Amino acid sequence: MRNIILPGMLAPNEIEKTENVYIENNKIYSKVVGLYDDEKKTIIQLEGNWIPKIDESVVGIITSSKGNVYEVELFFFGRGLLISNKYDNIRFNVGDVISASVKDVEDYKTVILWNPKALRGGTIIQVKATKVPRIVGRSNTMVEQIAQLTACNIVVGTNGIIWLRGDAISVATEAIRKIENEAHTTGLTERIKVMLEEEMLKLNSIKQ
Amino acid sequence: MSNKANAPKLIINGKRIDGRDFNQLRPIKITAGILKNADGSALLKWGNNIVLAAVFGPQKAISKHFADPTKAIIKCRYSMAPFSSKGEHSRSGPNRRAIEISKVTKEVFENIIFVNDFPGSEINIFIEILQSDGGTRAAGITAAAVALANAGIHMKDIVYAVSVGKVGDELLLDLNMIEDNYSDCDMPMAISPRNGELLLLQMDGDIKQDEIKRAISMAQEAGKTISKIQQDSLLEIYKNVDKQIGVNGV
Amino acid sequence: MVFKMGVFEDVKGNYVKELLAKGVRENNRGMFDFRKIYITKDFIPQAEGSSIVNIGDTKVLVGVKMQIGEPMADNPTDGNLIVSAELLPLAHAEFESGPPSPESIELARVVDRGIRAANSIDLSKLFIESNKVWEIYCDIYVLNYDGNLFDAGTLAVMTALKNTKMPKYEDGKAIYEERNIPLPINSTVVSTTFGKIKDKIIIDPNIHEETALDARLTIANDGKIIRAMQKGLSGSISSKELDDMANISINKYAELNNAINNAVKEE
Repeated sequence: MRNIILPGMLAPNEIEKTENVYIENNKIYSKVVGLYDDEKKTIIQLEGNWIPKIDESVVGIITSSKGNVYEVELFFFGRGLLISNKYDNIRFNVGDVISASVKDVEDYKTVILWNPKALRGGTIIQVKATKVPRIVGRSNTMVEQIAQLTACNIVVGTNGIIWLRGDAISVATEAIRKIENEAHTTGLTERIKVMLEEEMLKLNSIKQ
Repeated sequence: MSNKANAPKLIINGKRIDGRDFNQLRPIKITAGILKNADGSALLKWGNNIVLAAVFGPQKAISKHFADPTKAIIKCRYSMAPFSSKGEHSRSGPNRRAIEISKVTKEVFENIIFVNDFPGSEINIFIEILQSDGGTRAAGITAAAVALANAGIHMKDIVYAVSVGKVGDELLLDLNMIEDNYSDCDMPMAISPRNGELLLLQMDGDIKQDEIKRAISMAQEAGKTISKIQQDSLLEIYKNVDKQIGVNGV
Repeated sequence: MVFKMGVFEDVKGNYVKELLAKGVRENNRGMFDFRKIYITKDFIPQAEGSSIVNIGDTKVLVGVKMQIGEPMADNPTDGNLIVSAELLPLAHAEFESGPPSPESIELARVVDRGIRAANSIDLSKLFIESNKVWEIYCDIYVLNYDGNLFDAGTLAVMTALKNTKMPKYEDGKAIYEERNIPLPINSTVVSTTFGKIKDKIIIDPNIHEETALDARLTIANDGKIIRAMQKGLSGSISSKELDDMANISINKYAELNNAINNAVKEE
């Protein structure tokens, strides 16, 4: 059973004590609007901006560079820092879109990045960070389905920034927006597949 | 408390001027998540009051000078539209009253938001009173609490607010504009539903200590209804997946 | 109108330019297609008139208030039309609270100019008696910003004016409880905003396109005659381009006028 839980609502005693709950007078309450997963005994946050964690992969924009130190906009309340080393073998310019991994997080708000890759051309869209797991899907199934059916290159950052390149970006974007709106529902992979096939047919008939 | 001499009769045959019972709320309707750019939002209609609340954050603190490296700072702007009242056009921009309400509203949310979860950031709460008919600060807090939950801000509770006033010897729940203008007392309160404690309390007029106790109980009782409406508005988002946000009304 | 929108919009702006170079817009929109327009009226029943206009994700609310005031010295027998605009901080993360910005003042003045130039409202009929006239206050409240506030603002003000009911006048006072007389409306004015990026011209720019614009032109018309224009930004336009945009603007009148009238008619 998956139920929606709201801030201030009592959570079951056996729940995993994550940053989404708090304890007061020996009772556990939710801090967030979330999905309570009965099997995993945890609350999955449904709304909210990104809170960085080590090893996550993100998409950001270079906003300044000084020698080998780059500041990267990651679209949350803190800042991203990339110190490139000789293995990266790459130079970035201000305004470049990159993907990278989170190496470390200092005081919640300074994100140290590594393993940068340049994402050239295309565009970016922003989604709610809490919806990213559904957009990616179990072992990448959802995002691979979108990429395959629209022939787009897609890189999803856990910080809610998604990079896309290809001729059918509009269809891929529509699919991503649909997942964002329906993230809490089941049977989504199949619905998205049907939608993508229909929209690609429409798009191709316009072109011909 | 204006001009008592011209006061209309506020209670007739045990009913109020709009036909309500003494402990009856006006109709309340909340739609959560109606604005695209804001991180969270809520449109609230409470009697003739229409309130739009929106939240941005946690986001980068605009001024490094005011940022606190240990916690989020909360900013709140309560503002009334120049076309919001019955009768004449009013000047735009916050006046002294609006600035005071912004301050006490901010303090309500400083209590219930886990500010330490978002160090160095700021959380902006905007409350726009689009149409007013008494009790707008309570309506604004009630709407802002939904907008904060909708934004995913970590909170202890979804706070609600309501006012209790006094006419003669009777306590009246949720005063409208005319009742507010001619009542003997008005006491707006914001309350945490999980423990019933007061987060906002203002009063002006004339009230006895035992009446204060009764007024708080009345507000807490009404809070059950208000909380339910707040919760339902948030749950509604996940109910109808095909509903297009923004197509109906606003 | 161009705001400093940050790095996200810079990246989007580059993409818009790249697409336009290939003759395409986001979501395969035609060069002279408006986004979906959705208008409702009477959102604020206590105001004498009101409307909400959505153009795509741009959302604008207008409230109209009427009251008795003094005429302007140079027009002692005309009523007053006062248009203001607020870019509410809840409409976009980059909008700040505070005194009116140059952008909000330009928005209000451009909307006002088209309606005033076309004599859309017969202000001479708003004369009450010596030194007493009706004042019409139109406040444009921007609730969500996704580009093209000029056209949204004009649509919203025009719709709200067309559904305004004047209070009764009695013994020198406005009786707000009795409102049933419509405003004296001569004509409906619409505005069309064009953007120019390199040599390409588009209509109804969204937020990403606005950040990429070289030049912008707003043309207000009443279906027959061009009534007001405002060029913005540092890019230039040729007289041929202006001529084309003027033709398209007049051709767009029916679509926009219908959107207003359908909203006003609705029960």
